[in-house]
Amino acid sequence: MRSLQLLVLSLFALPPVAGLLLLILPKVLGRIVTILSVVALSAISVYLFASFDKPFQILIPEYSDKVVMIADVLLLVYFAFIAIKRKSVLVGLLTIGQAIALGYLIKLLGHHEGGIHAQFYIDRLSLFMFLLINIVSGIIATYSLQYIDEEDCSPYRKKFFMFTMLWFIGVMNLVVSADNLEYFFLFFELTTLASYIFISFRKDNESVNNALRALWMNQIGGIAILGAMIYSLSTIGYGTLSFQTLVKAAPTVGLLFPLALLAVAALIKGAQMPFSSWLLGAMVAPTPVSALLHSSTMVKIAPFIILRLAPAIKGTSLSLVIIALTGFVFLAAAISALAQDNFKRILAFSTVSLLGLMILMAAIGTDTAIVTCLILILFHGISKCMLFLNAGVLEKKFHLKSALDMDRLAESGPFTAFVVCIGFISLMLPPFGAFVGKWFSIEILGSTLRQTRGLTAIVMLAIACGGAVLSLLYFKVMGLLISRSGEKDKVTFETTHPLYNVNLILLLALILAGVVSLPFLLTGYFGPVASDVLGSAVAVDVQSNYSISIGTMNLPVIPMILAFLILPVSLFISLFIRFRKVDRVKEYTCGEKIDYKFNSFYFDTEFLLPYFKAVGLVFFALIIILTVI
Amino acid sequence: MQSIIILSVLALLAPLVGGLVYGIERKVKARMQNRIGPNILQPFYDFFKLADKRLVMVHSTHAFLGVMHFISIWVAVAVLIFGGDLILVIFLHLLSTALLIMGGFSTRSIFSHLGANRTAISILAYEPVLIIMAVSIYAVNGSFQISSIINSDPLLYKMPLTFIALLLILPIKLKKSPFDVAEAHQEIAGGAEIEYSGIFFEAIYTAKWLDYIFVYALVFLFGGSNYLLGAGLVVGTFIYINALDNSTARVDYRQMLKFSYFVALPVAFINLLITLFN
Amino acid sequence: MFELKKFRKKSPWILHFNAGGCNGCDIEILACLAPKYDIERFGMINTGNPKQSDILLITGPVTKRTRERLVEVYNQMPEPKVVVCCGSCASTGGIFRGMYNIEGGVDQFIPVDVYVAGCACRPEQIIDGVVVALGILEEKTKEIEKTIKLANKPVVEEDGQVNRRNMPAELTYETTV
Ligand code: SF4
Repeated sequence: MRSLQLLVLSLFALPPVAGLLLLILPKVLGRIVTILSVVALSAISVYLFASFDKPFQILIPEYSDKVVMIADVLLLVYFAFIAIKRKSVLVGLLTIGQAIALGYLIKLLGHHEGGIHAQFYIDRLSLFMFLLINIVSGIIATYSLQYIDEEDCSPYRKKFFMFTMLWFIGVMNLVVSADNLEYFFLFFELTTLASYIFISFRKDNESVNNALRALWMNQIGGIAILGAMIYSLSTIGYGTLSFQTLVKAAPTVGLLFPLALLAVAALIKGAQMPFSSWLLGAMVAPTPVSALLHSSTMVKIAPFIILRLAPAIKGTSLSLVIIALTGFVFLAAAISALAQDNFKRILAFSTVSLLGLMILMAAIGTDTAIVTCLILILFHGISKCMLFLNAGVLEKKFHLKSALDMDRLAESGPFTAFVVCIGFISLMLPPFGAFVGKWFSIEILGSTLRQTRGLTAIVMLAIACGGAVLSLLYFKVMGLLISRSGEKDKVTFETTHPLYNVNLILLLALILAGVVSLPFLLTGYFGPVASDVLGSAVAVDVQSNYSISIGTMNLPVIPMILAFLILPVSLFISLFIRFRKVDRVKEYTCGEKIDYKFNSFYFDTEFLLPYFKAVGLVFFALIIILTVI
Repeated sequence: MQSIIILSVLALLAPLVGGLVYGIERKVKARMQNRIGPNILQPFYDFFKLADKRLVMVHSTHAFLGVMHFISIWVAVAVLIFGGDLILVIFLHLLSTALLIMGGFSTRSIFSHLGANRTAISILAYEPVLIIMAVSIYAVNGSFQISSIINSDPLLYKMPLTFIALLLILPIKLKKSPFDVAEAHQEIAGGAEIEYSGIFFEAIYTAKWLDYIFVYALVFLFGGSNYLLGAGLVVGTFIYINALDNSTARVDYRQMLKFSYFVALPVAFINLLITLFN
Repeated sequence: MFELKKFRKKSPWILHFNAGGCNGCDIEILACLAPKYDIERFGMINTGNPKQSDILLITGPVTKRTRERLVEVYNQMPEPKVVVCCGSCASTGGIFRGMYNIEGGVDQFIPVDVYVAGCACRPEQIIDGVVVALGILEEKTKEIEKTIKLANKPVVEEDGQVNRRNMPAELTYETTV
């Protein structure tokens, strides 16, 4: 047990230490240190998951409470400094608000001796997040070594970027293992700080504005967490800062207000409308940042918090509102995405949309829903990471940003085009993991229809339409980049930097391995994690007729194998295959010999965005109002 | 064991039956227009003739994707026949359509691109209705498994509106007038399938037969354990589709989307609500 | 033995190409498809797509604008294929012969198998012509058919693929003052 605790601590400490080393070491050594530490992090998280048997707490010295307190204050001072430097009234006001709340909290804490039990609580959910965070972010970190090198800025800033990235990974590890809400608040705010630093990295006007927006939006989340702490400390029945105790006590106390505040913080982090603009604004940062924010870290805090809350809020009015909100966001984000042309913005909207689905599943909170949420978190993370890293390659190597310019990419960069296609397809079609998530969520919503009647039926409608809109959106991009003329039948692969290639291939391998090993993952990975989340065993069994049953759901294996043979495998073959003894003729253009420029369709849905945001705001207000009453 | 053999034979014969359905359809359509029409076995004649052509293609990726479209739609139909999960079947069918769309996009041909774009949009039009249909069936029947749906009470009496919604979107699915924007022979010369020829077109052609099987099997489900009713529904739908195809003109894709979202989808949804509040 | 060849006759798909005529013959071709003559009873479909057709029905004389397109479309048809010229224009240039923009009959550019006379040719004649063409179709091999004018050679690439993409060539004229 002791060794496991030490390993977890090394997960916290290793990334910042590696980051510091990177700052002082020369370039090549720095690269080696980064890669080594990333490999070590991944290995540790795998080992931790493998050798885990029951949840444990990490004991740390008493004085760390004071350290956290001081760090909180320092952070607020820094925020105030930003507000003054950038002349942002909003950030300033929110910082003052946070300072007042924090001061009140410190005063409250003085009366509650021994109210803090455990600072860190590690269960399988934390380990699940460790795996995702460390492996996927590790891949992003190695990738960005090369990416940031090609960036146009001073060597010191390059190092600083990598440093931020590494300590951010450390903070993410802390976030998913913190049990004390005060600690959690600090780490939450640290991720906010990281997003500010990342987004404002390029220092132009747009970057700074977007960074400030990210800052103040997430500060609202911080205030919500502070509010939750104050409320929980001053309410009879709770009187605790421990996440676990809070969640366990909630059903008996019956007051959902602190949980609702935590959920609000989660929804803001998860960029649900109307707070989606901070994530969309993050597009101005270098691409690895988007990959980091969108795939494995940052936004995944949202489903993580809701998963933690799931046992307490399941079946309450709070969960109903969250379901309604996220179902709405799933559709609304998908529709707004149709108006976008920028590749990264398309991806960003689809992230917002799919995050909605994840949070929805977590809020439903039945055993199958939890499993589905976990499946979505993992596979969405990997797929999105791959897509964003590809966006970086497209930018640096092919100088493409808009999806409309990607016409004929399959000629100049067949491998990139293939990987982008697999990335998109893995989000919507069988047999990929994210598809299984989508499929299960439809069936889970179907099975909850009887209990909630009208509401889930409407959410169901939103999911059905949103899914179709998303597939249309993906075809919009794929359609252009896979087209190539028949002038040459042989495909010659482009050469990209090995650091790019290796990472993309690794992610591709992860996706394919995820498909192949999905049955094993369900029994040995998702099932146990879901049991830990719910606190009761989730039955994942292998049935005699070649299918896996998860609660009431059934995953038949044979159709999935067939689909695997059809889709990723055949797409891959289609790249290489060259039919012999076949004539090649021109495309039919009524005999004309002109070379056409192709474009994609465009739906003018941009004007809907403000309305969507207004509706989202109403839902947020509902969350607060319903739980207060 | 015996049932597995029967089902496998059924799944293997599916293209054959589909070809026959297509042959009958051509005949019926011709009779409706007061023509004599081709032989019922005409699709098979076409099939053998296409196999005899010199092989011509645009490039290998495109040709290969066409063949995979056929195989994947066969898989979808087979899973349907073996009584798999209804939602999975719908998505497997989406997969095969996706391969057709990718194939259409993979050449630099205007008609092919137009067709692929329109096919993608018609997915947007029919997919939600199919999913709502599956969920309504679950709400009535308590299972997504086709094998259990086919052994339950007839669904038609409990969900007539859903059936009507299905009828409304079937022309989109089968690319029949008035919703044949994706194929539109006089307009974009066949859409996504235009660049295929010879044996590669044969794959697309046969996939179309399997599409018939897929659609009519969905219709058949509404009969539940009453196979006679199911068969009656299939025949009725068949006549309805052909009559509609012969008597209407093509609308553009916006009208199609509007129709699907403001008529068909609400109709299906109302039925879902009715079953829930009963 | 199971002969695939005999099915050529049973499902001839036609492509209809107007090389520059007055639309008189085109209307007659369309009349063939309509209920009165109903050539679909022979399994014929008007595909509108060279890649899936067996019979090329051409109407009208070849003009300077259509000649390359005609050869291109002809090239895209997979062998075996037959060409039927409908109407006197397509056969010889007809009443347009000798005009400044007219190249002449179709047979100057691509090999023609059947000529259907008439201005405009009657549907019965067209059906007759197609029936004759079907007999020719059954005899044909699957070798690439060379066009007469305007054609480059097909390029045979390694592993047996034949590149027919750039076969139609431009026809250059020497301008005499
Ligand atoms: S042959 Fe007569 S009817 Fe036919 S296109 Fe020529 S001029 Fe017109």
